[in-house]
Amino acid sequence: MSLHDQDDPALRAAQEQRLREVWAPPKGLFLRWTDTNNNQVGNWYVLTAFAFMLFAGVLALIMRTQLAVPDNDLVGPGTFNQLFTLHGSVMMFLFAVPMFEAVSIILLPQLLGARDLPFPRLSAFGYWSFLIGGVFVSGSIFFDAAPDGGWFMYPPLTTRTDLSGLGADIWMLGLSFIEVSSVAAAVELIVGVLQCRPPGMRLNLMPLYAWYILVVAVMILFAFPPLIAGDVLFEMERLLDWPFFDASRGGDPLLWQHLFWIFGHPEVYIVFLPSIALFAMLVPTFARRHLLGYPWIVLAAVGTAFLSFGLWVHHMFATGLPKISLGFFSAASEAVAIPTAVQIFVFIVTLWAGRVVWSTPLLYATGSLAIFVIGGLTGVMVALAPFDWQAHDTYFVVAHLHYVLIGGTLMPLFAGLYYYWPLVTGKKLSDRLGRTAFWLIFVGANLCFFPMHLSGLEGMPRRVFTYPADLGLGGLNMASTIGSFVIAAGIAVIVLDLCRSPWRQMAPRNPWQAGTLEWLAHPQDENWGIRSIPLIESRYPIWDQEDFVRKVDEGRYFLPDAEEGRRETIITSVLDARPVSVIRLGAPSWKPMLTALALGGVFILTTYHLYWLALVSGVATLAMVLWWLWTGTAEIPEKPSKPIGHGMELPLYISGGASPGWWAMFITMMADATAFSGLLFGYFFFWTRHADFPPPDMAAAPGIFWPMIALMLALAGWVATVAAREIHARGGIGAGRLLLLFGLATSLAGVPAGLAGPWLSGMDPATHSYPAIVWTLAIWTCLHAAVAAIMQAYVLARSLAGRMTPHHDADIRNVTVYMHFFALTAACAYATIGLFPEVA
Amino acid sequence: MSEDPRGDRRKWHERLQVTLWTLIVPPTVWAAHFLFSYLWAAISCAKQGDFARFPTLFVAGTVLALAAIALSGWIAHRQVRMPGSPPPHQDGTDIDRLRFLAKATLLLAGLSFVGVLFTALPVVFIGDCR
Amino acid sequence: MRKSIAAPSVTLASVTVATLVLAGCNGHQSALAPFGLEARSTLWLTAVLAAGGSVIALGMAAIYFVAARAPEGKLTHQSGMRLVLWLGAVVPTVVLTALLVWALPAMRPLPTGDSDLHIRVEGEQFWWRVAYARSDDKGLNGRTEPLLLSANEVRLPVGRTVVFELTATDVIHSFWIPGLAGKMDMIPGRTNRLVVKAEKPGTYRGVCAEFCGLSHALMAFDVIAMEPAAFDAWLTAARIPPRRTQDRGAALFAREGCGSCHALAGTSAQARIGPDLTRFGERLTLGAGILEPTDGHTAAFIRDPHRFKPGARMPAYTHLTQEEALALARWLKQTKAENAR
Repeated sequence: MSLHDQDDPALRAAQEQRLREVWAPPKGLFLRWTDTNNNQVGNWYVLTAFAFMLFAGVLALIMRTQLAVPDNDLVGPGTFNQLFTLHGSVMMFLFAVPMFEAVSIILLPQLLGARDLPFPRLSAFGYWSFLIGGVFVSGSIFFDAAPDGGWFMYPPLTTRTDLSGLGADIWMLGLSFIEVSSVAAAVELIVGVLQCRPPGMRLNLMPLYAWYILVVAVMILFAFPPLIAGDVLFEMERLLDWPFFDASRGGDPLLWQHLFWIFGHPEVYIVFLPSIALFAMLVPTFARRHLLGYPWIVLAAVGTAFLSFGLWVHHMFATGLPKISLGFFSAASEAVAIPTAVQIFVFIVTLWAGRVVWSTPLLYATGSLAIFVIGGLTGVMVALAPFDWQAHDTYFVVAHLHYVLIGGTLMPLFAGLYYYWPLVTGKKLSDRLGRTAFWLIFVGANLCFFPMHLSGLEGMPRRVFTYPADLGLGGLNMASTIGSFVIAAGIAVIVLDLCRSPWRQMAPRNPWQAGTLEWLAHPQDENWGIRSIPLIESRYPIWDQEDFVRKVDEGRYFLPDAEEGRRETIITSVLDARPVSVIRLGAPSWKPMLTALALGGVFILTTYHLYWLALVSGVATLAMVLWWLWTGTAEIPEKPSKPIGHGMELPLYISGGASPGWWAMFITMMADATAFSGLLFGYFFFWTRHADFPPPDMAAAPGIFWPMIALMLALAGWVATVAAREIHARGGIGAGRLLLLFGLATSLAGVPAGLAGPWLSGMDPATHSYPAIVWTLAIWTCLHAAVAAIMQAYVLARSLAGRMTPHHDADIRNVTVYMHFFALTAACAYATIGLFPEVA
Repeated sequence: MSEDPRGDRRKWHERLQVTLWTLIVPPTVWAAHFLFSYLWAAISCAKQGDFARFPTLFVAGTVLALAAIALSGWIAHRQVRMPGSPPPHQDGTDIDRLRFLAKATLLLAGLSFVGVLFTALPVVFIGDCR
Repeated sequence: MRKSIAAPSVTLASVTVATLVLAGCNGHQSALAPFGLEARSTLWLTAVLAAGGSVIALGMAAIYFVAARAPEGKLTHQSGMRLVLWLGAVVPTVVLTALLVWALPAMRPLPTGDSDLHIRVEGEQFWWRVAYARSDDKGLNGRTEPLLLSANEVRLPVGRTVVFELTATDVIHSFWIPGLAGKMDMIPGRTNRLVVKAEKPGTYRGVCAEFCGLSHALMAFDVIAMEPAAFDAWLTAARIPPRRTQDRGAALFAREGCGSCHALAGTSAQARIGPDLTRFGERLTLGAGILEPTDGHTAAFIRDPHRFKPGARMPAYTHLTQEEALALARWLKQTKAENAR
């Protein structure tokens, strides 16, 4: 196929017909929900997250009404505590993070000129998990069973079953489930950015949104797992009475605070950076020029990501830690202001250098920058410990965080909404309603939250359901309440605007005359994403590359056809986006939804202490995952390669470090290792808390012998798998299978060996934090050994079934990645529980 | 970069492979230093209750971190200056991609350098475990 | 649409003015009305930060205004990057360094001496257990009796360094006297120290600042800063158990088993589960800073504490008649007449 083949309109029509058929969404009342295409899943995701935002907003209005006047009794303390707990949790876990994932699922393939993300069914799985978990958590308030311990869930208030009810379990298990879906989305987005870029889109040409998403997704990998580790310890204490946070049995409530805020602070940047990423897309459009200082934005995004992991203790300034420790975190909290300032100035100088075209999206961007700057400046204030000791846990902090989140997340999202609505629906929103809504929100936000700075300093703590009249805070609170309703009015106007959208005129294609790739999207959108995958030579190809849109539309670039009737996209190399292969994407399927249901069952049934049913659900999940993997991954193609146009021929099967599956495994295991390091941190944290750790009467447990045996078995299984991979690749199929069998045996043997140490030395985990954390580390590692065994058995079965050959060995290569991490986990865990008591 | 014909005549720091991984070297050094400082202070205070007026270990760690950041910053600085068209480096060429990554690394090195100095401030100004 | 650029700062200015007008002026529970050394220096820091922050915010608005109105190409690539370098990176770095150099030394606690007064406060759902001791009598480690036990009220001498030893028994609380100093958490299994120095005598209020359950909002206490001589006289007098009449109130106290939770110095009631009631009559408030301590309130609280304080551990005594409850209330207040404050 040469360039001129595409001159033939009949050929193009035939190609389009094939693409249309391949990418057609499933039809029918039920079947349509099996779709996995990023357009559909992304839209569901956005709508669901938006609905959760409205729900949490209503909760806030009830709270503000209660606080409008002193000594009010509209709602009692029990209800009020549920309201603020759910408001925070829903806004953070069910709106801000999922909304960024949702927007990225819609936008990223468009930005990258890809037909879809590399794992569309994983996106669908993430969506269904989010929906199930979100409804479970938020629905609880209608049964007066919502969590009421604050979104930070500090033990012992929340772990003592006499002080907190089912709500704590609903929070912990329901949101753990959603955290799993967030990590799944992170995997999807990282691989998407790194490997699904169009040919020629080198790292220095990547749209800045993609840079931000890459950074944020990596942050999720390191931020969410410590919370998952904390959730594990938390539920072990609640369900099994293992005393991790009970000071009377050697635990410490502060361990939870560390794990929670190691998650909680990066979380703020996880929801802030994607919104700033929207600015980075729309500012150049309305400045009519390239963004100045592209590397500075990369500096800011990467720098913020790193620094944000050195801030968590500033949420714990008042916990009495040594002042020197607080000092480190105070210094880092100040340092993070530098990259943030850089980002803002990059936008300002871009507007300065360009020709500003005023529009509703830019109005929102301007307003949110104004609000965000104020939130950032109060952030610099609270980062200084002496000031924070006054402001901490007062309405000053409520004001600060709402300025940051409204200016840094909510209003940028509205900017993005007005900017990208034409891209998704083909219709523009109303400028008049948009401006009205903007002013309502802007004025309302300031009226609501600015007075809180003062009420906080005047002695109003957070999370109070009422306050005495003689504090003189009635006026300030009334102003805040009025402001909150003004914001609500603004949001209502936006909702009205959205509802009227279907009856409006179609807008022209690329209505803002933007220069980036996503604006290739056609108003009457075809489901295939992009007609042909372009060759990129500029950061703003629509502006800079000659005849770009026409060439894409006429299929003159790559992969303009779907000859084999499969959904496909191109995989390119990480640095320079050289074409590597064509991958086949998952088609619509029930499996993601059913797997999410089964996994949701595990979490929800555990909440109600239905352990046997939860176990059944867990086995069902495992079966679903295996079925999904078996039928849908590492498929051996019908031919080794296919042409993608311009004389290029790309392989249809790749394995190892260049393949998306390998990266997905690697990224997932990074998250897994981070969760494990959270547990390990717990062990050493207890060591620093106690003069004698292990306690003298338990110092002999679990001994050296069994942990070392378990470690040897783990290492043997690892070596066997690596050797099997190498020998298998050289054609030694039989020897490879034998080695795998050996590895399977050692992994299985590792389970009892790992548990033997604490078991045989009679450690009772309910007595003290030491046996509890040793058991936890042992169980974690043994679970990983069991999963290793399942994976080795799976690979063996693939080989025996002829689905894995020396040339098509993605399965064993991916499993080897798992085994590397498993060996590392086993080495750390067994060295700690077996050897550390000898040197402590 | 190995296919670059000028490869052999370039200096060692210009021949270094620049990737996404080298981009994060400076902030990773900051993170390692930060973790080291936190653990050092936490363990000193929890286990000894105090640390020396002149904490040799901490000073050594800080100097090492600053040196590592400065080195990666210097390499990046040289790579930014490699010949090619003037900024902005936004062409689809090997040299522009290299210089972009080098520029971003250089900026990150600057931020990380300041970050490490900031981390050292509390040790100077607080100086004990209370 | 041009006006929209200037509008943020205008709106903000008017909001600021409006809130200042709306702001009440409470002098007893406010970081803006300090009576202690630390709160005073923090207020100074606050004022500087707020003023500096306002200047920066307005400056940024001005720059944005200029930037948005500037014609195309007014700013070259090179000068744009110079702006980002200087205003985005260098200036913030310098300002932040200065702030750290100021604030880090301010984190160091006040120096303490061997004879300083120590006040141990334990947070409970939803009240405060208070004990006074000299640091050299080891009273706070439980080896010997503290000087004085009390609850829901803290008295401290002006001009002397006082060390609060803060902990909790059930859940995390936070000890905050806004006019005196910043807050410090009370965490089960840990004892945190907060060193303060009051500078102005008067009656103030402290609150729990960490969410601690149902009645978190209803957990406060009175703070009375006294001239040193008056404080010493009070402490000496307070250590002598007050004489109580053996009337109906005493009988009710015994009959209802109040002494199995509450202590009354000089009687057989020595339990530590609920607040110490020895000097109950002297307190300025009832129920940990939430009610005026009239006889009527006290009686009502005894009969149904959960009406005033949801989630309180004290059981309801609804079987007492109003008249019995009043008698008990009056009897409990007998400390007041005997010892002048």
